[in-house]
Amino acid sequence: MKVLKSWLNDWVDIDKINGDELSLALESLGFEIESRIDIKPNYKNIVVGKVLEIYPHPNADKVRVTKVDTGNNVFEIVCGAFNFDVGAVVPVALPKSEIKDSFLIDKRDIRGVESNGMICSATELDLWEDNSGILLLDDDVKPGTDFSTIYPQNDIVWEIGVTPNRGDCMSHLGVARELSHYFKKPLLDNSSQLNPSIESILSLSSGTIKECNTYAGIEIENIKIKDSNFNTKYRLSQVGTRIINNVVDYTNYVLYDIGQPLHAFDRDKLFGKISVRYAKQDETLLTLDNQNRQLSKNDLIITADDKPIALAGVMGGLETEVTQETNNLLIESAYFDKVSIMNTSRKLNLISDASIRFERGIDHQFQLLGLNRFINIFQQDQHITYSSPVVDSKQQFSMVDVSFSRNEIYKILGIKLENDFIENMLEYLGINYTLTDNDIVFQSPSWRYDLERPIDLIEEFAKHYGFNNFESTLPIGNNKNNLGEYWHLKRSLTDKLIAMNMYEIQTLSFVSQEINQIFTPEKKSVEINNPIDQTNKFLRTSLHPSLIEVYKNNIEQNNQSEMFFEINNIFDAGEHQNFDSIPNQIYSLSALIPSKLTNSDTRQDPTINDIYFAKQILIDCFGKIELKQIHKPGFHQNLSFLILKNNKVIGHLGQLASQLEKSYELNNSIFLFSIDLTSISSEDLINIIYSPLSPYPYVKFDLSFMVPDAFAASELIQEVEKFLINNENVITIFDDFKNEKSRNLGIRINTRSYSKTYSEEEVTDILNQVVDVLENKFSIKLNKGN
Amino acid sequence: MAEVNLDKIFASFILSLEDVVDVSELTQIEKEYLGKGSVLSEERAKLASLSNDDKKKYGSLLKDFANKVSKKLESFKVDFEKSYFTEKEKSENPDISLDWFSKKGTRKHILTNVMEEVVDIFASLGYTVAHGPEAETSWHNFDALNTPDWHPARYESDTLYLDKDLKNLLRTQTSTVQVRHMQDNKPPVYIVAPGRVYRSDQLDATHSPVFHQIEGLAVDDGITFSDLKGTLEYFVKEFFGKNVQTKFIPHFFPFTEPSAEVLVSWKDGEWLEILGCGMVDPNVFQNVKYPSTTQGFAFGVGVERLAMLRYGIDHIKNFYENDLRFLEQF
Repeated sequence: MKVLKSWLNDWVDIDKINGDELSLALESLGFEIESRIDIKPNYKNIVVGKVLEIYPHPNADKVRVTKVDTGNNVFEIVCGAFNFDVGAVVPVALPKSEIKDSFLIDKRDIRGVESNGMICSATELDLWEDNSGILLLDDDVKPGTDFSTIYPQNDIVWEIGVTPNRGDCMSHLGVARELSHYFKKPLLDNSSQLNPSIESILSLSSGTIKECNTYAGIEIENIKIKDSNFNTKYRLSQVGTRIINNVVDYTNYVLYDIGQPLHAFDRDKLFGKISVRYAKQDETLLTLDNQNRQLSKNDLIITADDKPIALAGVMGGLETEVTQETNNLLIESAYFDKVSIMNTSRKLNLISDASIRFERGIDHQFQLLGLNRFINIFQQDQHITYSSPVVDSKQQFSMVDVSFSRNEIYKILGIKLENDFIENMLEYLGINYTLTDNDIVFQSPSWRYDLERPIDLIEEFAKHYGFNNFESTLPIGNNKNNLGEYWHLKRSLTDKLIAMNMYEIQTLSFVSQEINQIFTPEKKSVEINNPIDQTNKFLRTSLHPSLIEVYKNNIEQNNQSEMFFEINNIFDAGEHQNFDSIPNQIYSLSALIPSKLTNSDTRQDPTINDIYFAKQILIDCFGKIELKQIHKPGFHQNLSFLILKNNKVIGHLGQLASQLEKSYELNNSIFLFSIDLTSISSEDLINIIYSPLSPYPYVKFDLSFMVPDAFAASELIQEVEKFLINNENVITIFDDFKNEKSRNLGIRINTRSYSKTYSEEEVTDILNQVVDVLENKFSIKLNKGN
Repeated sequence: MAEVNLDKIFASFILSLEDVVDVSELTQIEKEYLGKGSVLSEERAKLASLSNDDKKKYGSLLKDFANKVSKKLESFKVDFEKSYFTEKEKSENPDISLDWFSKKGTRKHILTNVMEEVVDIFASLGYTVAHGPEAETSWHNFDALNTPDWHPARYESDTLYLDKDLKNLLRTQTSTVQVRHMQDNKPPVYIVAPGRVYRSDQLDATHSPVFHQIEGLAVDDGITFSDLKGTLEYFVKEFFGKNVQTKFIPHFFPFTEPSAEVLVSWKDGEWLEILGCGMVDPNVFQNVKYPSTTQGFAFGVGVERLAMLRYGIDHIKNFYENDLRFLEQF
């Protein structure tokens, strides 16, 4: 919302306070400052002139020639605008003056007529945007007056954020009230008496529903629709409102002035009793914007003789609109229920300055004042006759006493407030209160909907005390150096994976059903009811597709071939596992390892890896694991394995199916693994088992065995380790050679006794025993002669 | 007596050294002049047949010769290696301005980096990490957090729902974790909850349908607004640096009262919003069945915002596209 310093000054005397101080005050009161513009004249030597004569240009249709009285002289000036007549009071740029952006004005020949300067529009003087033509000043300004003396100098306009709980601050009066306490200056009273001189002819009612508590109106006769006065135009333009005509401008003026929305009807288009009700299903209304609106049972409407004439608080009807020909008015000033207005305006997507104020709650005692202000402003401009206001109100809002102990303030805020401060604030803010030694009793004023509980008033104290005046203290919690298992696991895992040169990624969670089908056709996807993007309206059931996308995009960007991993939730709509009503969400890790990896030394060729490399990453993370072959959609028919840790399935490792590798156009085998992080703990990541170091020399021998094709080589190692259990061993498979005839495994045994140096006889003995054990256990044969 | 000219042999020894190109050749030369089958060893064998006097004289000559050769060999070796290494290093002079190894960064995603840093700051103040589901009930995301039915945040234009009845949704804030944590734990509570949140926003420079927040909550006897202020000032200084100033301006959130926004002083005297905070609203405590005398504060900070501010990242999309040109910079 925009507020103008000179307008605020109507309500609280801040004229002498400079802009910085006011900005600081506004901000500390909770009005976030989105922008501030210091208004400075962008023109020089502009004077006020009165148009004495207008006649056609002898050589041109698009301009007219005027004679303008500028006080001491009458000048002939050519003008291209047609929005004024003889008698108009206008700003004139005489020769040697400057308009917007230092543009110098001088005598100029326009098609054979010498023009002594120009008549200016608001835009040309950089006052505000206005394409309707020349700026018309009030008739009573004397020709020759320096324009800068009638146009406000050094005014300031702020765009401020008003929080949704403070509907009462959606006007200059509301903001001024907050400032009045800040600067300890009283709020001024701008209302004046009405002198009604006609009888009203319409009957008004607030209807039977409680959503319209007050419906008030005033009838005005014999008005003339014309431009509003200069001050109104200036102020409304500065707060960003379009200038229309006096009636519309003055209703807007009252809204920005005190926050009461008004609506003007052409009284001569109204027949029968004016009332308020909910619309009936399928009723329609042609609104001001010339749209035929389908109404529903939740829309609050104004009716004349029970026929809809306006959408209450949202938009008027076209049939009862005020036009150039309007002579008589009905001005409406009502109090409508917040939620009803909100529903209708959001449903029809008609959000106006009025609807926003009703939504946030207007002062429920301001309806009469609204009419009063309208008449006051209108009267400054033309002589009008009007009726007594009619107010139909249902119930008085009850004033509830809220009481609380003064200790609460200290308890919650940590500050001790003096009596003076408490009393001052409550008085300036217009809050009724009683103060005792121990307690505060208060009543919420008619404009505040945010003061219902003790905490609401405590907040008010904090704000007016000034957040930046509070002391700062630093409490220490009860969980020092205890990050918790969730974070510990995520962090340990991330640290391990990045240490293995994998890049961590973060991707969006939305995918198409087809994407979910690739790896997890068995899972039911969670569908978003109101997706941002219809093509990606499901939550992902697997992290693999995102990894492949990221890998592929990077290759397409001519980036390196790298390894990636992501730790995030996957979702499914299967039977509830963790929570009763919300979809399953499994905290997961997925990783992608391309077989061809860009070497970090750019002089080297890519490194080529196979699935053993991927397996080793798993071992480095999780220690001892087992892999069990399993068929899985999206994966190679053989290279696909369940990952088991302590006999429990924790995830899956495999090579991307050849078909998918082709359809993704990867030209590179891809290994993927996924881990269900809910099935492991951070302790599973600690795989340190210390073995003492033997001081004796090592014995080393290589053996080669002929083994069947389907043979798990790891079993050979396990068996030797079992046999040499009392030694310090390093046992490895160093060769797995296959030809047409046979498969041969080379095993290297490196062993040390903890108690002695082996003699040659003992070494031979061990070697023979190992061969015996392995041959017998697995029915395999040692290859002799190596 | 002397049948061989030792001087001549020595001269030929010196001559042979001149041809040495590798230090290993010295072993061969040593063997040739001092080892088995050398002239020296043959002459020594002859000593036995000489008279005692001659034996003594000639033996001494041979010994001198042997010493001379050994000594020469040794000094030659030292000099040879010295000049050899000098020459070798002289030839090894690569252009160190080259970077043959490509840039890699920490490989940790920058959002993770920032979250870990924030968590560490609060861990040092005695906070633990809590977490909760991302697909949530509307009750946890809105009702429990004192957000009324009609609140605009609940509109389908803002929030992604998972059913027609609008009962389940993708959480729009990590404040949901407050609710779940308090339902399961009695005070005192000191937690931070980093995690993903979702909004119905198209991906553009400053918006993403997925982003990250860190929620903080401290509930304990005697926790005041001053404590909130001190805690967040400490956080800002730890995260952005000691010279960064903080200011608190009043704000509104349904789940805290009083509520504030925290601004930090930035370059060119600009103040930038970095987080929202406040004293937990009594209604929230009531919703999690805490006693009415409970008090505490809560805050929420956007992780992308922290990262963008600190590193000057211009586009939120970068976080989620995972282009290596971006990833490797951190």
